[in-house]
Amino acid sequence: MAEESLSLRRRLWNPEARLAYALILPTVAFLAAFMFYPIFYVFVMSFFRTNKLSALTKFVGFGNFIDRLQDKEFWWAVLRSVIWTAIGVSTKFLLGLAIAVLLNVKYRGRKTARMAFIIPWASSVPISALLWKLVYHPDFGLLNRTLSVTGLWPKPPGWLGAPYSAFGACMWVDIWIGIPFFALVFLAGMQAIPQELYESAHMDGAGSVRSFFSITLAGLQELILISTLLSAIWTFNDFNVIYILTRAGPADTTNILITSVYMNAFVDRRFDWAAVQSVITFVILTIVSVIYARFYFRQENA
Amino acid sequence: MFRLGVVLLLLAPMVVWGAPKATFFWAGYDGLTEDFRASLEAAFNKQSPDAQIQIVPVPWDSLQDKLNTAVAGGAPPDISVVGTRWILDYMATDSVQEVTQYVSKKTLDNINPAAMEAKVKGKLMGLPIAAGARILALNASITKAVPKTIEELEADAIKVNNPPNAYGVFMPGKSHTELTDFCYYFYAAGGNFFEVKPDGSYGKCTVNSPAGVKALTFMAKLAQQDKVVEDNFTTYDRIHGHPLFYAGKIGYVMIGAWVDSAMKQAGATFPVIYANIPSFAGQKPAGLIITDSVAFFTKAPNLKAAGKFMDFFYQDQWKGKFDQLIGFPPVTLSAAKDKFWNTPLYQALNKAALTARPWPLVDGFDTLNTETWNACEKVFQGQATPQEALDAAAADVDKARGM
Repeated sequence: MAEESLSLRRRLWNPEARLAYALILPTVAFLAAFMFYPIFYVFVMSFFRTNKLSALTKFVGFGNFIDRLQDKEFWWAVLRSVIWTAIGVSTKFLLGLAIAVLLNVKYRGRKTARMAFIIPWASSVPISALLWKLVYHPDFGLLNRTLSVTGLWPKPPGWLGAPYSAFGACMWVDIWIGIPFFALVFLAGMQAIPQELYESAHMDGAGSVRSFFSITLAGLQELILISTLLSAIWTFNDFNVIYILTRAGPADTTNILITSVYMNAFVDRRFDWAAVQSVITFVILTIVSVIYARFYFRQENA
Repeated sequence: MFRLGVVLLLLAPMVVWGAPKATFFWAGYDGLTEDFRASLEAAFNKQSPDAQIQIVPVPWDSLQDKLNTAVAGGAPPDISVVGTRWILDYMATDSVQEVTQYVSKKTLDNINPAAMEAKVKGKLMGLPIAAGARILALNASITKAVPKTIEELEADAIKVNNPPNAYGVFMPGKSHTELTDFCYYFYAAGGNFFEVKPDGSYGKCTVNSPAGVKALTFMAKLAQQDKVVEDNFTTYDRIHGHPLFYAGKIGYVMIGAWVDSAMKQAGATFPVIYANIPSFAGQKPAGLIITDSVAFFTKAPNLKAAGKFMDFFYQDQWKGKFDQLIGFPPVTLSAAKDKFWNTPLYQALNKAALTARPWPLVDGFDTLNTETWNACEKVFQGQATPQEALDAAAADVDKARGM
């Protein structure tokens, strides 16, 4: 026992380990100061009343949580976040997969097509959102001008001015930005699948649909899990698109949890409510991540 | 000697580099040009090596968000343009300082006392930068009928409405940082945002009073029943909607002093008639007057340099030009003597100011703004009746103010 403990100490505190500690110390210190402390402080803040400068004024226990959970608007924001994420991620996934298949087929101009599909992903999100805001402009926006000039829709609506169309318009921009991520990840995955598998399947009489489901999708399984998890977290937390396009309006109908956190904190200056919603967002995303991780590791072990 | 000269030459830029540099959040008023901002910054920095300024342009609609974020983050600018109605919120957290500590007496003595709306309990918490009543502007190539009541305005708007070439009246249906567009009709209906207690302090929110319901019902009627406002009005806020007027597509618009200079910059050439914003029949005339101020922020490091800059800026050469660009009547007595202000617009603004009322100077104005706009949007979207929406807004405002 004493020997074991000595060996553990040697392993954890030898010259090489000390060098390793010294090397990782700056990173740990940086993360502690700029990541863990703010997260910890938000948790603390959620149990206090705050003033308009975010200073803690009074301990209220779960008072802020009870207050938020009893607020109808909060639940609407949660529901919108879930719908936003579910539809957003599944559409990005399906379109990304379809594009990856197209980009994986050999044809002239494939390289150009691959580069073109990366543009939305490579552009900065606020700039993309601003461009789409111009596209959606009711009078001189590209979309409405095209619809009216071609006669497809002589009097098109103001897309960002009504609840459902505004939500859909924001969601489309988020999808447009997010598709290349899936396409690139799936394309990389497809290129790692050995060609021989397809040839064998073909010789065994499998059609292209069967090959797609049994070889391509099966080969991408792990990537699908990881990419949808990442995309779900990013989509759930996508603040830029909604803030730039609608500022959570009209009448709060595009207000999801993350925009609601911002509005509470920096418009109404209710930092305590914002902290509660941040904690709830954190919990929701942690639960989703844990479920995904269990799936992932179960498959890996199988 | 030569060596000393070289050393001094090398150190010279450090003197300027090391001078305190104050930051100024500069509101993007309509009519104000980037050239003016840059030349003002350069001129001050050139003549004042011991105190420098960085003028940060911020669009009006982002200003409050940016400022709140900076103040809450503990890194406020030294000075910023603020809506005077925001000051009480900043005072509640000791975020702003008395202006008189930093600005010279000479500058203060040159300011019209009537513009000192930011004087709270005898302390001047914001230096007036712009003040002006809101007025009704008519595109005279569409209509010359000056309405005496809101009901007449509605009738005239119906007469001239001819979409998509001309719309009767402009009304933004999308929320923005100012509550002006509801307030025009609310004040016109004789409304008050809060009960006023015998000691002069504000009590419960009364935006859901009969006057509020009347105002919002009327706004919804203009848009949904009369259909005399611009198409897709719920996509337009004030900033993006006023250009429709400058483009000659709107008969009537309730607007501020910047209208003339903004029209010139937009190349508009049609004739304009200016008038008071009318009231509902049977109500006293009551328009809206708005003042903006420059506030000094407590935690900022270079307040003295900021004060020195304000003394420089408030000279007629700069402040006078600033006023002319944004079109607001001058707040400084000396600049007001300029013959530039002897125009029909300025006369209309003066006339409107006689009966206009300011915003309530109240802690929690932000919430009033957000909740009332939210109520308007809900009604415009058909999600609530005016009474329901305004009842909810008033309840939320009272809750936020601890009532």
